[in-house]
Amino acid sequence: MKLPQHEYEVMQRLATIGPASEALEEVCEATGLDQVHVTVAASMLAGRGWLSLDESSFVELRLGKVGAELAESGFPERSSLRAIAAAGGRLPIAKLAEAPGLDKKSAGESIKHLATKGWAERDKGELGLTEAGRAALDVPSVDERLVALLREMDRATTLDELEGAADFPLEQALALLRGRRDVLSEKKRTRRRLSLTAEGRERWAAGIEPLIEVTQLTSELLIGGKWREVELKRYDVALDVAPQYGGKPHPFRRVLDETRDVFLQMGFSEVDSPHVESAFWDFDALFQPQDHPAREMQDTFYLGRPSRTILPAKHLVETVKDTHETGGESGSLGWQYRWQLDKAQKAVLRTHTTAATIRALADDPSGPRKVFCVGRVFRREAIDYKHLPVFYQVDGIIVDENGTFADLLGTLSAFYRKMGFEKFDFRPAFFPYTEPSVEVFVWMEQRKDWVEMGGAGIFRPEVTIPFGCHAPVLAWGLGLERLAMFRFELDDIRQIYQSDVKWLREVPLCR
Amino acid sequence: MPVIGIPVDHLNRLIGRAIEREQLLEHLQHLGCDIEGFATLARFSCGVCGHINEVTESEDAPAYCERCGFDFRSDEAQRRAIDPIDVVRMELLAVRPDIFDVGGLARCVRGYLGLETGLQRYALEAAATHVDVDPLLESDAAYRPFIACARVYGITFDDDLIRVVMKLQENLHWALGRNRKLASIGVYDLDTTRGPYRYTTIGPDQTRFVPLGVTDGRASSPREVLAEHPKGKAYAHLLEHHERYPWLIDAEGNVLSMPPIINSEATRVHHGSRNLFIDVTGTVERVVHRTLNIVVTSLCELSPEIRVEQVEIRYPDGKTVTTPDLRPQRVALSAARTNKLIGFSPSEDELAELLRRMRHDVAIDGDALQVDVAAYRNDILHERDLMEDAAISYGYHNLVPSLVRSMTVGQAHPNELFAAKARQILCGQGFLEVMTLMLVSPENAYEKLRIPTSESHVVIEYPVSQEQSIVRESLVPGLLETMSLNAHNDLPQQIFEVGHVTELAPTLETGARDYYRAAAAIISAKAGFAEIKQVAEALLRELGYAARFVAASQGTFIEGRAASIVVETADGATPIGVIGEVHPEVLERFNLVHPAALFELDLAAIQR
Repeated sequence: MKLPQHEYEVMQRLATIGPASEALEEVCEATGLDQVHVTVAASMLAGRGWLSLDESSFVELRLGKVGAELAESGFPERSSLRAIAAAGGRLPIAKLAEAPGLDKKSAGESIKHLATKGWAERDKGELGLTEAGRAALDVPSVDERLVALLREMDRATTLDELEGAADFPLEQALALLRGRRDVLSEKKRTRRRLSLTAEGRERWAAGIEPLIEVTQLTSELLIGGKWREVELKRYDVALDVAPQYGGKPHPFRRVLDETRDVFLQMGFSEVDSPHVESAFWDFDALFQPQDHPAREMQDTFYLGRPSRTILPAKHLVETVKDTHETGGESGSLGWQYRWQLDKAQKAVLRTHTTAATIRALADDPSGPRKVFCVGRVFRREAIDYKHLPVFYQVDGIIVDENGTFADLLGTLSAFYRKMGFEKFDFRPAFFPYTEPSVEVFVWMEQRKDWVEMGGAGIFRPEVTIPFGCHAPVLAWGLGLERLAMFRFELDDIRQIYQSDVKWLREVPLCR
Repeated sequence: MPVIGIPVDHLNRLIGRAIEREQLLEHLQHLGCDIEGFATLARFSCGVCGHINEVTESEDAPAYCERCGFDFRSDEAQRRAIDPIDVVRMELLAVRPDIFDVGGLARCVRGYLGLETGLQRYALEAAATHVDVDPLLESDAAYRPFIACARVYGITFDDDLIRVVMKLQENLHWALGRNRKLASIGVYDLDTTRGPYRYTTIGPDQTRFVPLGVTDGRASSPREVLAEHPKGKAYAHLLEHHERYPWLIDAEGNVLSMPPIINSEATRVHHGSRNLFIDVTGTVERVVHRTLNIVVTSLCELSPEIRVEQVEIRYPDGKTVTTPDLRPQRVALSAARTNKLIGFSPSEDELAELLRRMRHDVAIDGDALQVDVAAYRNDILHERDLMEDAAISYGYHNLVPSLVRSMTVGQAHPNELFAAKARQILCGQGFLEVMTLMLVSPENAYEKLRIPTSESHVVIEYPVSQEQSIVRESLVPGLLETMSLNAHNDLPQQIFEVGHVTELAPTLETGARDYYRAAAAIISAKAGFAEIKQVAEALLRELGYAARFVAASQGTFIEGRAASIVVETADGATPIGVIGEVHPEVLERFNLVHPAALFELDLAAIQR
């Protein structure tokens, strides 16, 4: 008969002491096994009926913190007793605290115990020595003796053990000390004792061998065929393992890539444009008047280096200027102000990716054409939970002779549907470069509310005609951080760019 | 955007029917108003000036009068609680200043609901006085050349109406006047003045007058007003290049105002004022006229019993203009083009009716609609603007979303495709992608990295903070900052970023150029050169390059543990990046207590 190693060793130890029992701790010491291993092995053997496990509870006793102090410096009532005797048997209570070994607190405490022990009586603010007190002067009381005994033993003990060691009434001493806080520390403990049953001893006598258990299957075991002779240890398959995190794209990257995918699927070509942009392409080309609040330096990052840009061909700049001032060829009244070249030459960090789409339109004004750009834009914002000075947008345009405002609404619906939204609302809005203009709202079920996602419209004729485009140009610019915040349930936009490694590791790829 | 509270009862009264709140909200949203919601406002009348101070229910009662500045805490009795009102709170729709007040908004809603359609006409009485305009106002010495005026009779000016007019004035200053630069409004008690008037100029120390709000009769010079009066200080920048200031006086030389700063106390409008003089001065003629038109027509909506009298403006070149000029603007609109652009199909008659509901008059002449646009509308620059009006009138929510029929083939940008490959490879190497802001500080980008500040980075002129004051030229500062922010997280950490950097390029149109870089870093108890070199080599191998590592020296890295990464391209041996173990001093500066190693590559140089 073969038994797993631990069970074998426990049996072996118990067999040497016959039918007698042994404490679990002693078995551990004798076998050199951990308490856990012995416990498991014992319960396995008990399950076979070969081992008997006796559990009994007992109280473990030692001096508490206060008890240790009393043992060190004596009981306060003993000091009081001596002081009263020294004063001739009567002492005003007020004087007690001045006695050697006492202070205000311990003096006060001692009065209670003097009364309990009957050593002194209170009378008109004085303490008077009693007969019992006089008798106790040179004889330690039972509680003092127990404290002394425990100090002498200097370890945890049991009531049984004390019973044998005490030469005084133990119960009386315990009762007195239990009435004082933290003098004794008593804890309930369980003691396990192991012994072999008759069947166990028979089995052992009949001969038992240890079973060789193997945790790791090795190349050596395989090559020699030895694996046949060993037992492959069973695992607890439910046991926790350390988490493993691989490399993966940033959650916001996934939103950006999905956005790009959606527009690619809908037949759009991807374009880019420089982060450093001229005010001309960022604003003027979009018919944004030069005194428009969005162009002010509170909102736009103008650059110290480079500070000036080179504008496109002169006739193009002139056409844009005329359109601002008088409407030019566009059929518009224009903004009726004096347009200034130097304002258009200023270098800015692009404030919207519409700079990319208008450049694409200027490069090739013919339709039908669909173009988009996903990129960073810059606004002069202080960083807080809602705002960043740099964020991502997707801008797109459809140049189509037959394009309609309804087509624009349909395209935006298709985009948001693919991004996982089901309900949309389109409300009138105002942007300087589109007409009609619309703001897109999506229904957020978690919030039970409409949330604004971005602006769209058909480029004004004042925008497209200077670049030779007479077809309707459906256009939109939508923020993307917001989509990510909803998807990943972030309430602070800064989290996106803080790249907390713990968050990156734990946020699921599929969400 | 500023927010206004439109009193619900007053609005319903002017619309002529009580509209349920839900319905009202929906109508206003369909018109393009950004509604914040309904609120009840507590109101306190100032015992000193009569002004009605409004606060939302959650706010404390006002400590000061917002108009005269009286400190209510010094005399509680002057703060008189009056009945609260319910308002609908909405953001100002900057493009529609004609609906900033309850009167204008009601006019618009009546049309939208079809209760009263077409152009609203207002009777004007012929000019009985004039304003002479000084030629100096056209010169740079005191440039503010345009003025438009009106006289209004028989108004019942109670505290409520004063408040509405004040708010309208304030909001028009913001939206149309661009904070009084393009146009500013003055309203006076007509009975304290006598025409004809002179719009002229004054030297900064030429005379003294008592500005509005000074009740102890103390007079100031124009210069002192700009230096001391709260409004003077707020708007002094508008006159900072002026040698002389705009100045409006009456026939007897009494001061009406010093535009665009402040009126005189003597002409102040008060509870019980019956007749008004209104002026708008400014730098853009069209805006000056539209502003006056909005004020006057909104007053007519609020108090239909008033009479408005025109004023003749006599310019120095002999030109005369009569204001307010409420003649409509005629715009021709093609019905076919409108339907084609919007993607709906109303008949000409139906289209005309849609426009009438937007308060335009329309005459139909076949496909051509002759549209008369009200003189208070400032946003109709082009036929296209009326197409939008027609679409709003129809309701965006009633349009059927569709898609363009033309077939186009999608194409991703090659730079994006190449960057995506680099990201995929680095993810496969077990690296986590991080994303950092493109704006950095010179301290993080150079100083902390122990490298000299470059001359080739883009600099923001007025940064919000030093932390984001230049555009990054390298991804390394972002990686180190990210590691620093993650010092409390479990090691090892392997991170990368593939993103744009920007560098000056003086020969290019915008003076700068962007390109993609890839950078990766490892921080762990024993991160080292060999470990990061394996990753760099793997990345380049997958991208189709065999890299050479040539010993190099850079402050960021430990001496003798840094290299330049060199590959063979069409241009021959090209250095495309750096790699190394991070110098302990750099680690210290980023508060890192474990070794780190990193590399950075220029993807643009090797893109295939």
